[in-house]
Amino acid sequence: ALQQAAGTPKRSIQLSNIVEEYANGRRVSRVLKLSPKKPDSGTEEPMEEPKTPKRSNRGSLAGSATKSTPKSASKMRLIRDGTIKPTIHSRDAPLGNEMNELAIARERLHVSATPASLPCREKEYEEIYNFLEGKIYDGCGGCMYISGVPGTGKTATTTAVIRALKHLSEEEHIPKFEFVDINGMRLTEPRQAYVHIHRQLTGKTLAWEQAYNLLNKRFTTKAPRRTTTVLLVDELDILCNKRQDVVYNILNWPTMPTAQLIVVTIANTMDLPERLLKGKISSRLGLTRLTFQPYNFRQLQEIVMARLVGMSSFNSDAVQLVARKVAAVSGDARRALDICRRATELADDQARKTDQSVTVSMTHVQQALTEMITSAKVRTIRSSSRMEQLFLQAVTAEVARTGIEECNFLGVYSQYESLAAFSGVSVPNPGRAMAICARLTASRILICEGGSNDIYQKILLNISTDDVHFALQASKLL
Amino acid sequence: MHRRTRLSLRSSSINDKENDSEQTHLQTTPRKRRSKVPVAREEEEPQEECVHSPKKAARKIGRPRLSKVLDGEELENESTVAPDAIGKLPEREKEYDELVAYVENVLSSDGSGSLYISGPPGTGKTATLQRILNHPPFVKKLKPVYINCTSIKSVGSIYKKISEELDLKVSGTTEKMYQAAIEAHLQRKHKTIMLVLDEIDQLSSSKQTILYSIFEWPARPTARLVLIGIANALDLTDRLLARLQARCELKPHLIQFLPYTKQQIVAILKACLEETDSLARFPEAALGLLAAKVASTSGDIRRALFIARRLVESAKKEDRTTKSDTVVSMGQVMAVLKQVYGASQTLSNDLEEGFPLQQKLLICSLMLLLKHGKNKDITVGKLHDVYKTICTKRNIQAVDQTEFISLCTLVETRGIVRLQGKKEPRMHRVCLQWDEEEVSSSLNDKQLIASIINDVSCLGK
Repeated sequence: ALQQAAGTPKRSIQLSNIVEEYANGRRVSRVLKLSPKKPDSGTEEPMEEPKTPKRSNRGSLAGSATKSTPKSASKMRLIRDGTIKPTIHSRDAPLGNEMNELAIARERLHVSATPASLPCREKEYEEIYNFLEGKIYDGCGGCMYISGVPGTGKTATTTAVIRALKHLSEEEHIPKFEFVDINGMRLTEPRQAYVHIHRQLTGKTLAWEQAYNLLNKRFTTKAPRRTTTVLLVDELDILCNKRQDVVYNILNWPTMPTAQLIVVTIANTMDLPERLLKGKISSRLGLTRLTFQPYNFRQLQEIVMARLVGMSSFNSDAVQLVARKVAAVSGDARRALDICRRATELADDQARKTDQSVTVSMTHVQQALTEMITSAKVRTIRSSSRMEQLFLQAVTAEVARTGIEECNFLGVYSQYESLAAFSGVSVPNPGRAMAICARLTASRILICEGGSNDIYQKILLNISTDDVHFALQASKLL
Repeated sequence: MHRRTRLSLRSSSINDKENDSEQTHLQTTPRKRRSKVPVAREEEEPQEECVHSPKKAARKIGRPRLSKVLDGEELENESTVAPDAIGKLPEREKEYDELVAYVENVLSSDGSGSLYISGPPGTGKTATLQRILNHPPFVKKLKPVYINCTSIKSVGSIYKKISEELDLKVSGTTEKMYQAAIEAHLQRKHKTIMLVLDEIDQLSSSKQTILYSIFEWPARPTARLVLIGIANALDLTDRLLARLQARCELKPHLIQFLPYTKQQIVAILKACLEETDSLARFPEAALGLLAAKVASTSGDIRRALFIARRLVESAKKEDRTTKSDTVVSMGQVMAVLKQVYGASQTLSNDLEEGFPLQQKLLICSLMLLLKHGKNKDITVGKLHDVYKTICTKRNIQAVDQTEFISLCTLVETRGIVRLQGKKEPRMHRVCLQWDEEEVSSSLNDKQLIASIINDVSCLGK
């Protein structure tokens, strides 16, 4: 209805009513005022009058428009109340193509397919389990801080513990508890954490202030039949803003005797409480800390083999190569799984080409590894134009001459001229050379500081000089 | 067994109001009946009884106590329960008396005053204040308002919160309106208000207008307001509110909560344990060791309670296996303390196991640059160059730059180095966070690494 109302006066504008005039040399078009007397308030009413019958003619359209707005408003209300659940369209029928062994392996190797039990994390599992079970039994609150580099199974282990505990509580071996999880990266703003916690507890979506007040009431007042709440906070460092009030509140509630709240926080940084959090917050965070070490190659091998159990499509040496390569760099399980997946895809391609079954072997893994750990920059230099290569060479020469990493365009250009004379090509003029420089900057091989001060701009190499030489040797420029 | 205990504990507090004092009494009542009752407690007893109906009170008394000793002990040791369950705070009696005397003084003169309480985290500031708010003689004479300043939306909305707590009718919704309403309320005849602002440092802004205006309220002739601010910083009022010094009547009275000493921590832990008659589980020496360690580092009672609780948990675990009451041993205390405070121990542990080779090489090249390089201003690019020469010399496959940058961030999450950023990742400065000597000594064990650290030829030039 609002749109309709706003739209009405527009329709009465006819081309003949528009006068064009030149004001300050700029063309401005405006609507000729219909009523001569009162320009400001009078315009609305005379326009409205001829409009009315027209609108009644198209009553059906207007009617549907007016109906649709409250409908969507009520829908929004239902969504906020949690009575309507979000759904997505489903397929008419599941994709029914039969899977060969490689496809099954690929599916099992997907990062999202979390196995029922996590290999190589038994000790950490035990520790988290003991902590949570003890707290749930005692009906008191507490905090735990879990840290570790990405891809070491922090979230997977924690959720596995909670799943196991939920299962136990359903069979009434341990007291019932509620589980809420928030992820700092999924919040637009740290305070939205209150909204998410409240929604998971009650199903209603409120503004954060209301949600905070209700949560505060819930955790600070005594209720006899309260069950324990387990709150999992992933990516804690995102929730830290300058005031740190959200982190403070989340960690302060467990210290209330009435809350029965257990907070498990997960972050990457080991010394986050000391580095980022204020003293009063790290005092509340307590000393239950757990660090997930990166996987070593044996563990990575075990993880991959556990996923492929009962399959012969993977060469075990190939798995070991992946595990060793990944363990040497980061110890990230996601990465190992991704490389294995890529290797299966490569093997699949080969199988399709040759029309016979192929097991994933060392060559596939080697290929996948070079794809993933290869430097794109050398290839970029090799495939760039001759003049660009020459320019890069000039930059390295200038760096070698001055001994300082940062060189300015003028110096590079003079090197460029002499190099071009050597190789017998004509030098582009400085404007052209600057365009070359800009193109190399766009592909991030060079870094230019301040594009505005033309020939005095500073140029930095974004790759090491050895790489440049290595790349240019192949193209026979050196 | 477990569930019974919890339920019984809960049933004791079924009919609690929000009031903390009542809950305190309820929780302690049954225990008190059995153990020796402090004299001060006797007078509070009838008050509590009259709140509840006789039926409920009867049920409470007749309630069976099924808890195992260790269970109770565990609950006592939990930092959440401790201050309330004990009711009176051991080792904070002096501060408590001082506060009570100050408030009484203000009350008797029918004037107003402001207080600023400071102290490091975990020294019992809020717990003491909660006790003051529920101090029985004050409950009738005062209108208590407790606000935790972290709970407000922005600095200005503190007025709204205060007027909500005071049940004031406000004609508008702007900050000014709320402020005016509070100030009008202060002019009228009213009960003395005790306004406690916890974590008051959250209210600081660039001009400090709000802090100033709040601290100026007690100076109004008819204000009758006891303003108490709590924060960690010792000199917050001097630093942020320098103008208050100009007028003596505005200057807040300062009370400092010192970190707990060893004796105080021992006394608090003993008081906790005595409540459940399980003091025998903790030998004197173990308590002393624990307290000495905590007092020497922070004097934070949360930490001490936490470690004690950890010990109880491990003792309980042993109980299950040996089926008898175990005594916490010195060895266990040492183990837990080492786990909690042993930062230097994890350093060599980290480097030994589970530390990827490339990250080790990265640290080695950094050490090489720091030890033998001329320029201590190390960028990621420079480090990468050195790292590559080392790798080619040792016949190890080197990672390229993008990978190397992500390696640097991984090492950063361990707190070994710190990257100080300009825009470009290659230009980031790399600073070693750990002690240089310590790293080199822990790296020296390995032959490969030791040879790298002393290999000056890799530096180039």
